Amino acid sequence: MTTLAVPGYLNPQNQINLLELSVEKAIVALVLAFVIVSGEIDLSIASVMGLAAVLLAWLGQRGAPFEVAIVAALLAGALCGLFNGYWVAIVGLPSLAVTLAGLIAYRGVALLLVEDRSIGGFPEWFNRLGQQPLVGPFPLALLILAAFLVIATVLLQFSGFGRYVYVVGSNREVARFSGVRVTRVKLAVFAMSGVVSAFAGVLLAARLGAVRGSTAEGFELDIVTMVLLGGVSIFGGSGSMAGVILSILVILNLRNGLALANATGNTQAGVIGALLILSVLVPNLVAAARSRPRRGRPAAAAAGQSPPVAE
Amino acid sequence: MRTKQRVPLTVFAALAIVVAACGSTPAASPSQATASPTVAAASPTPAGPAKATPGQAVKMMLLPKFLGILPFAQANKGAQDASTELKNPTAFAFVGPTADNSVQGQIEFMTNASTQGYKVVMISNNAGDQIAPAATAAQAAGVKVVAWDSPIPSAKGENLFVAQVDFDQTGKVMADMALTLMGADGGKFAILSASPDAANQNAWIKALNDALKDPKYAKLQLVDTVYGNDQSEKSYTQAQALVAKYPDLKVIMAPTTVGIAAAAKAMQDGNLCNKVKVSGLGLPSEMVSYTLNGCAPQFALWSFVDLGYLTYYTSYLLATGAIKGVEGEQFVGGRLGTFTITKDPTRSAGLRVLMGGFKIYDKSNVEAEAK
Repeated sequence: MTTLAVPGYLNPQNQINLLELSVEKAIVALVLAFVIVSGEIDLSIASVMGLAAVLLAWLGQRGAPFEVAIVAALLAGALCGLFNGYWVAIVGLPSLAVTLAGLIAYRGVALLLVEDRSIGGFPEWFNRLGQQPLVGPFPLALLILAAFLVIATVLLQFSGFGRYVYVVGSNREVARFSGVRVTRVKLAVFAMSGVVSAFAGVLLAARLGAVRGSTAEGFELDIVTMVLLGGVSIFGGSGSMAGVILSILVILNLRNGLALANATGNTQAGVIGALLILSVLVPNLVAAARSRPRRGRPAAAAAGQSPPVAE
Repeated sequence: MRTKQRVPLTVFAALAIVVAACGSTPAASPSQATASPTVAAASPTPAGPAKATPGQAVKMMLLPKFLGILPFAQANKGAQDASTELKNPTAFAFVGPTADNSVQGQIEFMTNASTQGYKVVMISNNAGDQIAPAATAAQAAGVKVVAWDSPIPSAKGENLFVAQVDFDQTGKVMADMALTLMGADGGKFAILSASPDAANQNAWIKALNDALKDPKYAKLQLVDTVYGNDQSEKSYTQAQALVAKYPDLKVIMAPTTVGIAAAAKAMQDGNLCNKVKVSGLGLPSEMVSYTLNGCAPQFALWSFVDLGYLTYYTSYLLATGAIKGVEGEQFVGGRLGTFTITKDPTRSAGLRVLMGGFKIYDKSNVEAEAK
């Protein structure tokens, strides 16, 4: 149907375009799924992306070899992630508060580094990797996304670490008594989130060819939406990588279809918002409908995985 | 439990496609998507300036920095006038991002342009050189990129830039206004700009700095440059902050219509108009009350309607092949007269079509223009 309404929608180049426009968000969504399945949230992801991109450009501008600058940006991401993880996993503060502080603080550092300026003039090879197709019509970032899809799926669904993440997310106490090192798992998840966000920030810098203090600002909500729409419960312990991947594809195609039809940005945001509400509402209604004929009162235990609508 | 979540997801996928289909407009039918740039035969002899052949279908996009402020609406009106005059059977799309998503949004519009079958994107660039990769890709796919109001700084991915005024002259005009307002004794003044990625703003600020080197302006001291991002509220608080930071500030110079109006309001609300004058680039209709009450005694601007009109004309000529967009070409820009494509003196790699000069407004002429 979209094909009929908007010519060019199914054009392979358009499919590549729509992925490329949001590839950084998609990559971060994959790692955020780990954080949310583990029962936490990381709101600082977009600020870490911005900080990494800015640090890279800032170092590059000061004459640091660009490879070194990239490594420094990734290290900065890891530090941010570990810092979040320290307060959440070791001190035991709520991740919502900790990473909200991170959202503000890391963005603040980025803005301090470059103030209101825009920094460009990256090395030619860096821009080329970010902007030109590498294999056939696919730019490097899309190949990396494809690799990440596989790695993330294997790690979450088919590895011991992935099972720990689920157990920690569904019941922390049970996990601890079963011998899962809860602290270590959570630290690892936050560190991953930091590094991958920083990596996505570097990719974004390469694609845009210039950065500024506000690079990637506001991305966190889009990324959280991708994960939640994919059926990952905000309370942790449930959801699948397949769901997240499908959700990324649905959101990107939907946005692209609306954009090609010249729907405004506000309309697009409204449609995505409505979808998110439905994605929370429908599973709850289905669960409620299923439990009603058998018992007199709602079987909270049976529907335990679905978040209450009021939240 | 995990498997359960997948069922609703397929529902959403289906729903998504339905919604996308419903949200589309019939404007993008395939027949209109193909313009035929086979008109070179109709263009005049190489000697005279190129003239447009009306009635050809060219699908065009007018992409401002963002939607929702008056200058861009005026540019849209000018483009509408030109579209009617040239009898283009394909209506152009006036689309743009929201102000807070300007950079990402402009990149997205530029990336999607070739898929949508646009032959020309007319852009007031707010993304600095971040737009260049998308613009270059659009050009490779056969889309002409004509910048207006604000160019692509590196000129990469840009065919032509329709400049409202000479950017160096903007610096002199602002320096002159500052001098008039501060008098021979001079004093401190500050700039309230739009966003740090706006190439036009940055070029004007640089031109102002260059102009200030003239001994004539020796007593004018530029103390700060701040950014209000073309949002009224932020510009308002930035203006207040400037006054707090520099108690002896005499002038706020805002080369942006949003900034100058917000700064004038901030000074008026704070009863500061006797101390701090506001000047810069403003719209008479928005500035008339501040000019009459002395908060912003003098400001300048050009016609955004004319700018939209000339941009549309230039783009139409370029897309139909009547001009090629190379240095030295001359063409007739409808009611505005004959123009020549030249090198852009402020951007070594860029080509420019220069529209015209400034109009200075004060209490003698602002009321007439505001109507």
